[in-house]
Amino acid sequence: MTECCRAAVSAAEIAPEDPAFPGLPGPQPIEYRDRAHGATGALDAEGRARAVEAIVGQAAAHGLSAAGKVEVSDAAVAVANTKSVDAAMPVSEARATVLAMGDEGGSGWASFSSADPRDLVPEALGDEAASLALRSEDARSLEPGTYVVVLAHEAVAELLSMLAYAGFSAKAVAEGRSFMSGHLGEKVVSERITILDDAASPEAQGLTFDFEGMPKRRTPLIEDGVAVRPVTDSYWAAVTDTDDTGHALPAPNSFGPLPLDIEMAPGDGDIDRMVGSVERGIYVTRFHYVNVEDPMSVLLTGMTRDGTFMIEGGRLTHPVRNLRFTQSALGALDSVESVGADRRHVDAMLGSALAPARLVREFVYTGQPW
Amino acid sequence: MKSFASACLDAAVAAGADYADVRVVDTSNESISVRTGRLEGIESSRSAGFGVRVIVDGAWGFAAASDLHDDAAARVAAQAVEIARASALVPGKRLELSAVEAYVGEWEGPCETDPFEVSLEDKLEVLFAADELLRTEEAVKVSSARLGFHKVDKHFASTVGSHIRQRHIESGMGIVAYAVGENEVLPRSYPNSHGGAWEQAGWESVVAADLAGNASRVSEEAAQLITAKECPSGSTTIVIDGSQLALQVHESIGHPTELDRVLGDEAAFAGTSFLSLSDLDTVRYASEIVSVTADATVEGSLGSFGWDDEGVPAQRDYLIRDGLFTGFLTSRESAVEIGRTSNGCMRADGWNRIPLIRMTTVSLEPGEWSRDDLIADTDDGIYVETNNSWSIDDRRLNFQFATEIGWEIKNGELGAVVKNPNYTGSTPEFWNSCDAVCSEADWRVWGLPNCGKGEPMQVAHVAHGAAPARFRDVQMGVARCSASIGRETSPHEPSPPPTRTRWSRSCSPSAPSSRGSRETASTSTSPRTTHVSPSAPRSARVSASRPRTGWTRAP
Repeated sequence: MTECCRAAVSAAEIAPEDPAFPGLPGPQPIEYRDRAHGATGALDAEGRARAVEAIVGQAAAHGLSAAGKVEVSDAAVAVANTKSVDAAMPVSEARATVLAMGDEGGSGWASFSSADPRDLVPEALGDEAASLALRSEDARSLEPGTYVVVLAHEAVAELLSMLAYAGFSAKAVAEGRSFMSGHLGEKVVSERITILDDAASPEAQGLTFDFEGMPKRRTPLIEDGVAVRPVTDSYWAAVTDTDDTGHALPAPNSFGPLPLDIEMAPGDGDIDRMVGSVERGIYVTRFHYVNVEDPMSVLLTGMTRDGTFMIEGGRLTHPVRNLRFTQSALGALDSVESVGADRRHVDAMLGSALAPARLVREFVYTGQPW
Repeated sequence: MKSFASACLDAAVAAGADYADVRVVDTSNESISVRTGRLEGIESSRSAGFGVRVIVDGAWGFAAASDLHDDAAARVAAQAVEIARASALVPGKRLELSAVEAYVGEWEGPCETDPFEVSLEDKLEVLFAADELLRTEEAVKVSSARLGFHKVDKHFASTVGSHIRQRHIESGMGIVAYAVGENEVLPRSYPNSHGGAWEQAGWESVVAADLAGNASRVSEEAAQLITAKECPSGSTTIVIDGSQLALQVHESIGHPTELDRVLGDEAAFAGTSFLSLSDLDTVRYASEIVSVTADATVEGSLGSFGWDDEGVPAQRDYLIRDGLFTGFLTSRESAVEIGRTSNGCMRADGWNRIPLIRMTTVSLEPGEWSRDDLIADTDDGIYVETNNSWSIDDRRLNFQFATEIGWEIKNGELGAVVKNPNYTGSTPEFWNSCDAVCSEADWRVWGLPNCGKGEPMQVAHVAHGAAPARFRDVQMGVARCSASIGRETSPHEPSPPPTRTRWSRSCSPSAPSSRGSRETASTSTSPRTTHVSPSAPRSARVSASRPRTGWTRAP
């Protein structure tokens, strides 16, 4: 610890002064949550192995193979500074995923994410993946084009996470690299869309303070389709002359502040009614390997994976081979026709996302791998 | 350290291990970044600890700790054995390891000047000088200059009888100019994007890169992009520079030839492979001029070492020879499945992670063309440089890459700059369309320090040798609302004016590019293994969060 502090002081002495540096923040009241559940004790090595056996057993019972994980962790994070910031909180995590695979190319995915491993029902998780895999065997090809899509929770969470990475940081906005740059207060997507970050919500799982020890504030990002604001930390709040929303990452980092507990407000839709309303379209369980081609329109490309189905006449008719999409996330949010009432907590690229299902009128598929 | 390692092995055997190995790893890191005239960050860190891997009842167990005391050796070895016993409860194939000899030796990577001994003042001088020159052009609103250094001291021992010490230093450097227009931001990087160029070397590599000497050119090229026209769309000839081709090799040859992916170990996260075991020595992966090697002996490459993390000596092996698929990247366990011994590709990300099959230096072997002759021989096409975005499906068949910049090729000459070039394709079809590879003169090794794989996520430092190469009938300009290839445009036709509904505008998708081939018909259905291990806390994952780079987020 002494060596670490000496190195930091030495670097600070040599570093040129940054006139924009506002100094370290002082203490603020923090709304703590009880998110420690002794996950590693509740699910020890044998317990995890038994859970794996139960999950994989569902696939094996149907002649499928399966892969996945069961992982648990208990951690505590403390942040303190010489201005009397003193924040500390223990958190537990339990995660499980399973991919069931059939001999004819079918695959089905299911995931579990909670602060408490006692919520895990391994047989149900395995059954969900196995059922999806069986249903997606012998998938058919589909011509690229613009389709109506129903995106299940995990697919929506992926788009939300990419949107957060590309556009919701005050640093990106200040540098002119975000779709929000110069457009705060303007309508940017459908009025059906409200996106916020709320680490203290009952569904969130992580810390309720950031890595400067500041309370993570509930922050509306897009409200009724209008760009409200990005998240900040103390530095970018000072640079952009606004308040600190408490979204600092560990310093130093090149990302700036980021929302790690993003959620999309629920609508009044229902996934079965969404499918029922589509004459011809595609149902997407989740996406794979999504990346940003253009941050300003949040133009994304990626693949569908583990449960892509054709919708015809208001019902799922047959599985479809995985598709490549090249689509602006903002464009997709602009053509949303229905947002689901039911939301799921999904482990996402940045922290986690609380996402509903969604019906999108225009979604562009640009290719198919085989 | 040898006695501590031996204590770990003895404790593991005493607890019931049939096999055990231990890695004691001490890693130091330093990174410094300057952004748009201000110091963005200086970070120094060190991480030391050890990990014990065991086999009990035909199943793996692994445990690790950061306290290097004898009582920790016994405790961690016992934990590893306990986890292996739990893993053995899950029905599955009893694992076997291919043979390896016992080695006692040392290896050290090349380094003339230890970068950790260079003063911070000297490092800041390099960065601030380059950063200022990056903003030579008014269109460049954001600039970035970075240095990174990585030092590893590792001791490996196993119950086979090996005791191996290896040390190396890596250095990385890069600059980026961001030209910012209305509703567009266009990066231009040197020597490479996504963190710059990395190699096993010391401070001398920073000096040789001459960041300041290249910054003005980078600034000019970034500014050019603002007024450049969009890359046209359609099927055309593409010439790809070495740095982008290195990533193309990584994603569409390196990953699908990893045998653990083929066997299904990565199925739930990074994915599987379009290859199957029966494809070995039978499938035409690429055209006859394409040969690809995996070589852990390339001097100065991020993919080089003396022995891998299972104590298997560094090797050079052909993955593709004259277009024929001839080899997988293997481990001691996976090599058994193809009746071979390991070709030494197992590496772990630090002391608290299990080794996985990772690329070494997976390289497109040089051809015979000079770059100038290759351009002169191309009547019509696009030349692209420097990766900007990448995505590939879970079987590594359908890819889509975007690069920072492109140039039209007309009648054998480079012409107008084009912005936002992207291309898509199907792996075997793409590699079989390669009809020219440049020679040793244009060939270099590109280090990629951010290849993501495994659960919990591990980040590997790998490398790829490549020279510019030409590919025919490649689909470009995917969903970019650009002019069609073949349509006459003026050399400096401006982009469509940006509008607030830009993302809502519907672009017609390009025609499908995949025609299918016999290589694509296989499906991996082999037994899967499930890793059961503690994860890093969310806070730790957050600090490492990056875009899913295939490398850092995947896959």
